[in-house]
Amino acid sequence: MSDDLVARAQAGDQTAFRELYRHHAGRVYALCLRLTGDGRDAEERTQDVFVRLWDKLRSFRGESAFSSWLHRLAVNVVLNERRTTGRRERRVMPAEDPDDVVGAQHAAPPAGLSIDLERAIAELPDGAREVFVLYDIEGYGHGEIAQLAGIAEGTSKAQLFRARRLLREKLER
Amino acid sequence: MNERELQDAVNRLPKSIEPPRDLWPGIEARLRQPRRVWYWLPLAAAAVLVFLLLARGERSAWDVTALAGRPLIGTRRFAASGRLRVGDWLQTDDSSRALIAVGRIGQVEVRPDTRLQLVVAKANEHRLALARGTIDAKVDAVPRLFFVETPAGTAIDLGCAYTLETDSLGKGLLHVTAGEVEFQTGSRSSRVPLGALMQIQPATGPGVPYVEEAPAPFVRALLAFDLERRGTRARAVRTVLTLARPQDAISLWHVLQRVDPSLRGVVYDRLAALVPPPPGVTRRGALALESRALEGYWTKIQRIHFRIMVLRGVRDIDPRTGLAKP
Repeated sequence: MSDDLVARAQAGDQTAFRELYRHHAGRVYALCLRLTGDGRDAEERTQDVFVRLWDKLRSFRGESAFSSWLHRLAVNVVLNERRTTGRRERRVMPAEDPDDVVGAQHAAPPAGLSIDLERAIAELPDGAREVFVLYDIEGYGHGEIAQLAGIAEGTSKAQLFRARRLLREKLER
Repeated sequence: MNERELQDAVNRLPKSIEPPRDLWPGIEARLRQPRRVWYWLPLAAAAVLVFLLLARGERSAWDVTALAGRPLIGTRRFAASGRLRVGDWLQTDDSSRALIAVGRIGQVEVRPDTRLQLVVAKANEHRLALARGTIDAKVDAVPRLFFVETPAGTAIDLGCAYTLETDSLGKGLLHVTAGEVEFQTGSRSSRVPLGALMQIQPATGPGVPYVEEAPAPFVRALLAFDLERRGTRARAVRTVLTLARPQDAISLWHVLQRVDPSLRGVVYDRLAALVPPPPGVTRRGALALESRALEGYWTKIQRIHFRIMVLRGVRDIDPRTGLAKP
């Protein structure tokens, strides 16, 4: 990824921005898919991330790698949306609501990959899934997760423990 | 499977998964649309407004306190306090928050990642433009003194407290925690009383409000009604009517005014079955959307809703009548 592409996009060049999208869409979509556990939500959040990126691109000053910066932006977008949506409609919907899980909506992972694990992650309760994805897959620390998700550090640790236990149980069935 | 095996499996997961369809067209459409609508016209309008205010010698300012981090006013960062003048932009980043004193009538807490502008600061009009982000507003004043413009419309304070969030395109959420807020986009408006939420869409403006504890399927049906085209809206209306409870009368009152005229009768009948209309409100008047009928009905619905909310946990209120259950 050339810095030139980022610089051109910062200057308002939409062609360059499209190239940025092509380079990063897969990584962002994978993150959104695992955080949301739902294929349609992941598509929407991926689009939200790039629209947000277009707004915020000028504030990128190169103090970290662009991909890391974008990654954090994507996490923020997904978690913010979940907080909002949680207030909007999920406050009354149990996490285990069958409609909520709808495994069929979860985009099928590419063939040859750990399909069972992907499905098991998607079926985790929201809070546990987010912490598991951020900690075990994306490498965030509990302090960072607590800050990003607006939860206590202890809650993050507890959710991780819960997520791993549930995953092991699901995968052993 | 033990912990180690799980970790090994996790390490083998791909870092990248291609989306099942090309998402770029949707992104591109959203990039283009608002830049025309939101960025340039309001900025130009704001510039003219600032010029006029300056010319009239009415330039004013509100106090701002940094609650966390170092927010920006214009291009200046401040760590403790600052002054927000008409025309100034206030911006918070991921880690900063600020508190604005809205003249003498209230305050606005500006959450992280928010950008807003002070547009008017007069005794009879307090107006902010929220470009994106989230604010918590608390106002103690007579109605229609405090306004917040967003890319999708304007929140008009009717004496209340609320949280308003929006992205730069206008997609957002209004959650009222005290009093009532009106949200207006062109000729379309919604009234959101305390304990209710309303989603805002760039294309359609204010959605149909719903109570906090509204069941998720009902909320989903309202969203479908807000967003879908005429043909499929009829199905959404039927779902809304089937799932509606007396507590959802505030939603049905809005649906009544937005539904296709051919469906207005069934919406009215359902609303009337859940919360009987007050004396003086006739079916004919309501179907003709006469303001007297609609206002009369709203007054009753609003009064019941307020009693339910205010007495929650204290008295069990009948949502059909507003009277305390024995």
